[in-house]
Amino acid sequence: MPRNSGQREGSPFTGLAPVFMKEFSDHLSSARMMVLMLFVIVFGAFPVASSLQELRNITEADAYLFLRIFTSAPESLPISFVFALNFIIPIMAIGLGFDSVNSEFNHRTLSRVLSQPIYRDALLLGKFLGALATLAVALTALWLIVFGAGLLLLGIPPRGVEVARAASFLLVTIAYGGVWLAVAMLFSVIFRSTATSALCALGLWLFFFFLWPMIASAITTGFAPSQFRTADEVLAVEQVGSVLARLSPGTLFGEAVIGLLNPETKAFGYFANMLLSQSRGLIPGAPLPFDQSLLLIWPQITGLIAGMIVVFAAAYIVFQREEVRA
Amino acid sequence: MRRLIVLIALIATSVLTAIQVYAADPVAMPGVRGLWLLTDYPSQAVRPGEVANIRVKLQNSGLLPEPYALSVSGAPAGWKIDVLGGGQPVAAAMPAVNESVTLTLRVDVPKDAKPGSQSITFQAKGPTQSAELPLTLTIGNETPAKLTIKSKLPSLRGTPRSSFEYTLSVSNDSGKDLTVALAAQGPANFQTTFTEGYGSNEISSIPIEAGQSKDIKAKVTPPRDVKAGDYPVLIKVAAEGATAEQRVTLQVSGQGRLALSAKDGRLSGEAERGKSTSYTLVVSNDGTAAIEEVEMSGTVPTNWKVEFNPKSIPTLAPNEKKEVQAVVTPGDKTIAGDYVASFRSNAKGESSSADFRITVTVSTIWGIASIAIIAVALLVLFGAVARFGRR
Repeated sequence: MPRNSGQREGSPFTGLAPVFMKEFSDHLSSARMMVLMLFVIVFGAFPVASSLQELRNITEADAYLFLRIFTSAPESLPISFVFALNFIIPIMAIGLGFDSVNSEFNHRTLSRVLSQPIYRDALLLGKFLGALATLAVALTALWLIVFGAGLLLLGIPPRGVEVARAASFLLVTIAYGGVWLAVAMLFSVIFRSTATSALCALGLWLFFFFLWPMIASAITTGFAPSQFRTADEVLAVEQVGSVLARLSPGTLFGEAVIGLLNPETKAFGYFANMLLSQSRGLIPGAPLPFDQSLLLIWPQITGLIAGMIVVFAAAYIVFQREEVRA
Repeated sequence: MRRLIVLIALIATSVLTAIQVYAADPVAMPGVRGLWLLTDYPSQAVRPGEVANIRVKLQNSGLLPEPYALSVSGAPAGWKIDVLGGGQPVAAAMPAVNESVTLTLRVDVPKDAKPGSQSITFQAKGPTQSAELPLTLTIGNETPAKLTIKSKLPSLRGTPRSSFEYTLSVSNDSGKDLTVALAAQGPANFQTTFTEGYGSNEISSIPIEAGQSKDIKAKVTPPRDVKAGDYPVLIKVAAEGATAEQRVTLQVSGQGRLALSAKDGRLSGEAERGKSTSYTLVVSNDGTAAIEEVEMSGTVPTNWKVEFNPKSIPTLAPNEKKEVQAVVTPGDKTIAGDYVASFRSNAKGESSSADFRITVTVSTIWGIASIAIIAVALLVLFGAVARFGRR
């Protein structure tokens, strides 16, 4: 199906729907998906179960009690549901995306697919959207399980604001999964070997999850003056540190989720919060309205979505320039 | 030498014996022996229709104890005289050697007893010894109870919030102890309490011995909303039909009282970051005098601005209210959240403040601006599609 490179006609989305449906159904019926789902449920269920145990014993009035299911880290198991998600969503997304393109190469099915009236655009986008939809279904199911367990065990219905915040949290979670899915697909386009692409994607995840916080803090320490003279200096150094940390999608996700699920959040960073409540006359503990919380974390959400689009664009460019007839 | 020692021993023995004898009989003089009936006042005044108690002692000096029958003779007709010992009617007494027995003669004088002196004789008669005590009881008109009250500073000046303390000296000019009841009569809602001169306990009556005087303090508290003017308070003391009164005056001068509140009573508001928002405050004078030169001021978080319009009020009459606009501008870098701003109104000696809770919101313009980043990312994607697409 070679065409004139100068002549581009028709919609690039022709054939998107069949590719999407095929990918979606393949993922949902695959054994890998079952394993990943099990993995996610086990990882998510423990923090939720133990935080529910603890929340049931709380007697003080809390306007956002329902949201604490997601964020509270019980003493017995110091991992909150949100932290567990931050950890396992990349694994799930990488698991879904690391072999999406190169396995077609290896099975020599790519040229067969492309001989159909389907553009490469539609193939890559269809694969991406199919995996993203699978991820969304899994995460929505998990979210509904947590919500239902909360209703059942806490016995209080969530308020409208809490539902809105929890739903936004679900959307942010899906966007976070999309970033890692795009990364995994980029590697699956670059490398012909599925093992290499899986290793690279997991390596990047490990780098951002374990190594990057240390590197960021080391760089921040280098920026810091030997002696702090004013509170603003401390604040400036902390901001350098958080800008560096935000290069990691995990940090963006964590901050966005904290802003959504902890309505009391007004700023990120230890010193920023301390300074606000101590010298700037802020009343600590007063919750922000939902729209203000959204505005607070809007840069983080923007970063996640834009990152997902940019990485996907990179994968797209690489894929378009590749020779597929093998 | 031996003679000397014997002599000293003899002297010592005799001295010791004397001391022993004296110690054993401290009341009786050595060599005075006998039986006596003793009283402090053998001649007394009594009043008709009342009871007089006369204390008598039966003293035995150096006699062997024996019972003495007690009797009263010479009592006029209609008089009833009982002999009491330890509160009980007794007929005989028996003092030990060199001891005494205390007795009380209870004299019940009839109402129609005629003025004049009456002589009665109290007798104690034993088998070997006896004693007599003649008593003269004079019936006369006793001096009636009389009280006087004086104030050192009968007129005090102050504001409605001060308390007026008058030191009064009450003297009992009659011949017997009195319990004096204290009372005050003033305008409605004026409260008066009495305390002893330097005490802190509130009292309603005070005992004053005959011929003595005592200082009491009367503290008058006017109601807070009292108007300026002179208010008299009558302090009255009374005991057994005798009364005395003293008029004290409170000169109450007016005082202004500032109050600051929001116009609709709501002490919270919203403000957008970097934009000025005005709140309407109400300054009112709840006092009784005009307040001059009320200055407005405010304490807001760092980098915020606050202005008042008007900045000061020249004069505020009693019960007058004036509106003041407080224009608050949160700083450009303020983070969304709830902040405390306090507004104050100050005048000479008077101030009032109100704390506002201001919710700072952030404009959505910045949120929209960050969507541009997503738009740029999408442009990159569409550019790639246009360059490499549909292959």
